[in-house]
Amino acid sequence: MMPTEISKDEIMAVYPKVAQTMADALGCDVEQVVLNVPLIEGLDAESIDFLDIIFRLERAFKVKIPRGKIVEDARGDLPEAEFERKGYVTEVGLQRLREHLSEVPADRFRSPMKVADIPRLFTPETFCKVVVRALRAVQAETAGVLGSGDAREAKADG
Amino acid sequence: MTGVHRRVAITGLGLVTPLGNDAATTWNALLAGRSGIGEISIFDASGFPAHIAAEVKGFNPHLAIDDRKLLKFTNRSHAFALAAAEEAMRDAGIWPARGSETRWGCVVGSSMMGMEFAELGEVHRHCGPDGEFHVERLLTDRITADPMVFCRIQPCTGLALLLRRFGIRGYANSVHTACASGGQAVGSGMKLIRRGTADWVLAGGFDSMITPIGLAGFCLLGALSLDNETPERASRPFDATRNGFVLGEGAGFLVLEEWEAARRRGARIYAELAGEGNSLSSYRITDSHPSGDGPIQAMHQALANAGAPLDAVDYINAHGTSTPMNDRSECTAIRAIFGPQACKIAVSSTKSLMGHLIAAAGAVEAAICALAIRHGILPINANLREPDPECDLDFVLGGPRVMRTGVALSNSFGFGGSNSCLTFRNPEEAPG
Repeated sequence: MMPTEISKDEIMAVYPKVAQTMADALGCDVEQVVLNVPLIEGLDAESIDFLDIIFRLERAFKVKIPRGKIVEDARGDLPEAEFERKGYVTEVGLQRLREHLSEVPADRFRSPMKVADIPRLFTPETFCKVVVRALRAVQAETAGVLGSGDAREAKADG
Repeated sequence: MTGVHRRVAITGLGLVTPLGNDAATTWNALLAGRSGIGEISIFDASGFPAHIAAEVKGFNPHLAIDDRKLLKFTNRSHAFALAAAEEAMRDAGIWPARGSETRWGCVVGSSMMGMEFAELGEVHRHCGPDGEFHVERLLTDRITADPMVFCRIQPCTGLALLLRRFGIRGYANSVHTACASGGQAVGSGMKLIRRGTADWVLAGGFDSMITPIGLAGFCLLGALSLDNETPERASRPFDATRNGFVLGEGAGFLVLEEWEAARRRGARIYAELAGEGNSLSSYRITDSHPSGDGPIQAMHQALANAGAPLDAVDYINAHGTSTPMNDRSECTAIRAIFGPQACKIAVSSTKSLMGHLIAAAGAVEAAICALAIRHGILPINANLREPDPECDLDFVLGGPRVMRTGVALSNSFGFGGSNSCLTFRNPEEAPG
C-alpha cells in the first residue's frame, strides 16, 4: 500500500515542471504560477484550460490522468449520491473535499458549494499532488507492486 | 434607425500579406512593384508540381498579439487575422467599450481549410493496414487527444478568437464561399450598419492554404502556375501566357463605421463603402462561365446598390487570378457591363504581386481599394507583357498610376460559383 500523504518534498520536486506547463497553458509568466494561487480567480483559467492542463501534464510527466480524477479521488468510497445532491456538494462531501484538497485554506470551502464550482478551489499545488499520485502509480506498476489497468496504460503511453 | 439611409465609412485598415506584415509595408511594396512570391519555405514542397507561393514572411504572432492565452487556440491563419484586425482597430482609433460593445459586429471570410496536415497524418496513423479505424488509439494519441487541436480546427475558431480579443458582443458571422469569402464578409458588414444592426463592424478575411494538402489540392485541379523557375513572373493576370494562379496567404481587416458617427468623432475616412453585389453562377463547381454570367450580375448589383452610374467608375481591382479561364471571363464581364466605356476604366490585379489569398483575398483587396482612393494612386498589374486580345482593358502597367479615383470596384469570385463585387466611393464625392 503506497502512502496516501504527500510530502512537501514530493510536491516541490514536480512543481517547477508543473508551473511551466501551467504557464504555457494559461499564457502567463511562470512566476505568476505560485503554489497556492487559485487558478480561476487568480490566473483566469477557464474550463477548457483544465482539460488542456491535464493533457499537457500527461505529456510532460508521461503519466495518465483520467479526466475528473481530482473530484473522484476526493469522493473516494463515498457514493456519488452522498457526495452531491441536486448540483450541490453535501456537508459530508465538503468534508471529503477539505481533506483531499488540504492545500486549500479552510475558509474557501463555503457551504453551500455547487459541484460546478469545485474547480474554483484548485491551485497549482492541487495539480502537483495529482502528478505525484500519477507518478507513484507508474512507479508501483514498474515495481510490479500494482497491476492496475490504469498504470499499465500509463506505462504503454509513456 | 431603420428607414433612414445609413451610410458606411471605412475608418481603419489592417493587413498581413506576403508583401508585408502591416498595411503601410504592403502598400509600399505594391507601389514599388515588389513581388511577394518565392520558393515555399514553410514545408518541403520540392516534390510538388508547383513549389512556389506567396508566403507571409517574418511574422511572429507573439510579437504581433499581446495575448499568449489566445495564441494557443490559433492556427497560422488565425494569428494573421488577429494581427491584421488589431492593426485595423488601432488605425480606426476606436474599440468596443462598455456600452458600445453590443453595437459592434464582426463578419469574417474564414479560411477554406481548418485541418492541418500533421493532424490528418495522426488520424491516418490510427487506420490500420486492415482499413479498420482504431478509435481507442486515436483518443489517446498525443496530437488527436489534444483538446486544443479540436478547438483550432473548428471553422468558427477564427471568428471566436476575434470576438474574444476585442470584446465584440453585437453580431457575428463567418462566410465560407471560398475566394469570394473576404469580399462577401466586407459587404455583409456594410449591410449590418445600413440596416441598423450595428454601428461598427470589424470585417475581413484570413487564410493560409500553403500546406501539403492545400497545395496538393490546387495542383490536382491544375489551377496553379508551374513556373517554379521564375516565381516573380509566375502570377501574370491578363497576360497571354498566363498559366495559373500562385497560392498566397494572409489577412485583411477593415473597420466599418456608420458615416455620421465617424464624421462626428472626426475619424479619418479612407472611403465610403458604398455598395455590394452578390450573385451565384450556378454553373460548374470550378469553372467560370465563359460569357461572364455571374460576375456581370454581381457588378451590376454593386453599382446599383451604390447608386453609382457606369461612367463614375474609375478603377477596378480585378479578381484577376492569372488562370486562363478566370481572366478571360472577367474581362468579358467588364466589357459586357461597361461597353465602349470599359477601356476608360483603369484595371489591375494585385494578385500579380501578392498571389491569391483565397478567403482573405476580397478583404485585402478591399483595403487596397480604400488606400488607392485615399492616396490617389493605383497599384500596378505586374507581369503583363504579352497582351491577350481577349483581355483588352486599360491595365495599370509599368508603374503605379497617379490618378484620383471617384469610384472603385473590387471583384472576388469563388470556387463553387459565388461572385462578390464591392463599390468604394471617394469620401469627397460622398453625398451629404
